[in-house]
Amino acid sequence: MNNPILYEIKDLKRRYGESFVLDIPYLKIEWGMSYGIVGPNGSGKSTLLRILAFIDKQDEGTVRFNKDVPSGDSTKTNYDHIKGATVTMLLQDSYLLKRSVFENIAYGLRVRGIRNNIRERVHESLRMVGLDPGTFVHRKWSELSGGEAQRIALAARLVLKPAVLILDEPTASVDRVSAQHIKETIRKVRRKYRTTLIIATHDLIWLHEVSDEIMKMHEGRLMGSAEENFITGAWSPAPDGLWSTRLSDGQCIVALRPTGEQHIALLDSTNIIITTERPDHMSAQNILSGRLMHMYTFEHSERVRLDVQVSDLSLICSITRKAAHMLDLLPGMNVWVVFKASSLRWQ
Amino acid sequence: MEYIAEGFATAIKLLVRGDPETYSAIFTTLRISSLSIMAALVIGIPLGFLLGYYQFPGKRQIHAVVDTLLALPTVVVGLFVYVLISRRGPLGSLGLLFTIPGIGIAQTILILPIVIALTATAVSNLDVRFRRTVLTLGAGKKRTAVTALYESRYGVIAAAVAAYGRAIGEVGVSMMIGGNIKWHTRTITTAIALETGKGQFAMGIALGLVLLLLAFVVNWILQIMKRKI
Amino acid sequence: MQKLCAAFFLFLLAATLALLPVTGYAEEPVLRMATTTSTDNTGLLDYLAPVFQHDTGIELQWVAVGTGKALALGKNCDVDILMVHAPSAELKFVNGGYGTDRREIMYNDFVIIGPRSDPAGIKGKSVDDALNRILKKGVIFASRGDDSGTNKKEISLWEAAGLGIPDRQNWYIQTGQGMLATITIAEERDAYTLTDRGTYIKYEVNNSGDPPLIILVEGNEGLKNQYSVIAVNQEKCPSVRYGYALKFIEWITSDKTQKLIGNFTMLGKKLFIPNAR
Repeated sequence: MNNPILYEIKDLKRRYGESFVLDIPYLKIEWGMSYGIVGPNGSGKSTLLRILAFIDKQDEGTVRFNKDVPSGDSTKTNYDHIKGATVTMLLQDSYLLKRSVFENIAYGLRVRGIRNNIRERVHESLRMVGLDPGTFVHRKWSELSGGEAQRIALAARLVLKPAVLILDEPTASVDRVSAQHIKETIRKVRRKYRTTLIIATHDLIWLHEVSDEIMKMHEGRLMGSAEENFITGAWSPAPDGLWSTRLSDGQCIVALRPTGEQHIALLDSTNIIITTERPDHMSAQNILSGRLMHMYTFEHSERVRLDVQVSDLSLICSITRKAAHMLDLLPGMNVWVVFKASSLRWQ
Repeated sequence: MEYIAEGFATAIKLLVRGDPETYSAIFTTLRISSLSIMAALVIGIPLGFLLGYYQFPGKRQIHAVVDTLLALPTVVVGLFVYVLISRRGPLGSLGLLFTIPGIGIAQTILILPIVIALTATAVSNLDVRFRRTVLTLGAGKKRTAVTALYESRYGVIAAAVAAYGRAIGEVGVSMMIGGNIKWHTRTITTAIALETGKGQFAMGIALGLVLLLLAFVVNWILQIMKRKI
Repeated sequence: MQKLCAAFFLFLLAATLALLPVTGYAEEPVLRMATTTSTDNTGLLDYLAPVFQHDTGIELQWVAVGTGKALALGKNCDVDILMVHAPSAELKFVNGGYGTDRREIMYNDFVIIGPRSDPAGIKGKSVDDALNRILKKGVIFASRGDDSGTNKKEISLWEAAGLGIPDRQNWYIQTGQGMLATITIAEERDAYTLTDRGTYIKYEVNNSGDPPLIILVEGNEGLKNQYSVIAVNQEKCPSVRYGYALKFIEWITSDKTQKLIGNFTMLGKKLFIPNAR
């Protein structure tokens, strides 16, 4: 990708007492891209987002931010666009100032000394999040539902025409209708302004729809940017210089010997082959029996995601649409999961 | 029982006819309390804000001390200031004893802890998410502080009302520093004390009613402000 | 929003300034006096002050406290002139160099008052006898207990009767307050008390001529109550308005004012007898 680089992060560390909340050797964020972050609670997602939003600081390492990149689409608007690349963040549980909706949205503009066309900008912002300006502009902060408040918080950030929009679980605490509006708004923003998005969410379907790249976080580390499966569990040496782990139903997974002290094996979802009948002539050492639980298709993708349950392991497999079509897959079917021992990498 | 009713009747008469002694006491109270509340707000709100907003060593201890000063007895403040401003005291040359500015200063000392403590509490009770929100909208350090004060405005207004209530209702300071001089430093409260001591209830009741009315009006203004801002 | 706040603040400021007198009242000539509550309670000063201002242009302001406190205020240079009624304390004050130009101005007498029922039976008796009876019967006696002129007189009467001050007796209540206030307390408790006649007449007026406490002992020799004025010594207190104090002393001892004092009556009774020489 030849997009200009917005963020370059090196050796980022953040401590909490003895342990690391964040430990990221290298991360690059490109302009105009959309990044999704997943990971369990406590994996450091929120801290990373806050550091990217410049409202928190790292203990060690550098965060280089390139301010001189194009900031939003200035051709369509008829008033000044906001100079410089703005970064703004929407919290999961957003806070509105104790004033009217209008003043809440106008706050960021006033802070930047922007005095002209405030009314039009605020109204445009409200329309963008799907709220009627006439109805909402004069409401007080206390006269809003949770979903409306979240949307207004989003409007307050969009009015700044930010180059980077960081969202920490934007739909987690709101009702379904508001969640829909928020997702729709983000889609619009992406399309109209090529805003760079960094989104942390548990909503996996939406995550896949909206992200160009997905980052997984686990205990403060980035665990690869594609969909990778974690095979934790007790690994022990096996014959032929291999290592294996036993699943609870007796099946075994084998991998190449790890080089150091790492004991978490990662398996890329695209390295898995799915068949409906047991294959006999495959060179792969791992042939496991499992059950297809869920299937997901995504708007812009020609791949299909499968959630397969193999014994006590939930594996994510990514196959082409064509393959899925040919296999005639349906959730509930018994399938075979096939992959090479060398596909597993250690972390 | 009838002398109470009689007292009330005379009280209304005094107020309606514009009895000069009664109104002199009322205006003296208003003058002094306006001075003291303005001074206390101008000094106390910034101090209270600093105390509540920033972290520094000894913050909790200072807050505790200010909270204790909240309940300072008026006579103690009166005594303390009296000793200072009497001619023989260190500030004697200013000639403040038995004057309205003298009472004003003493009252300011009395109500300042109220403004500081309640403002500090209001500011430190700001939602944790406030700072993050305002930062993500681009506010710098100074702007964040100013916005924080504005966000705490309901608490600050409550502090002002509480302080004003204490100022107009206190008698210890006004008596000791003012001397209850007729037409000059006789306030509503010192007049009530004097008249009741003399057995003249009518003026005492009249003034008491005015004091209640004053408290009511201040509270009513507070309610209006709460809705408007 | 910010405009609203600014507007409100300005309004408050304007209100304060409006309520404040534009010209400092320190401009007009003012004479500050410490006097006793007895004098103040009678309303004599309210009667005289406007005349004084008319005659000399000087405004008289006074704080009414007990004699003891008044003398202390004089020592501290917090007032310019004293009008008190405790001769021995006054002489000590002048001899100590704190006051000058002492002039006697008027007198009245003290009376012992009490409930009509007179539980200790002191009516018409001598002072010594009356106090003895009160002590024996243990009927409540209200004392000023505030080092005022009246209080000092009262104490001297107990001592003259050979009885000592009944300080800790539970029938002896020390109010620590002014004369009318003490009478009010005595009335509430059905007690005896010592008061100057001027304040008693005022009390009579307040009760429309028919008060619950009546005069039971009067006319005895030890009950004379002499009032004097003393200027605070300018040498000890350079900031006092000695010139005005002198003017007042001159004025109140003048024939004209002495006549006014004599004409100060309530219920047709004289409260004070002028005796300036």
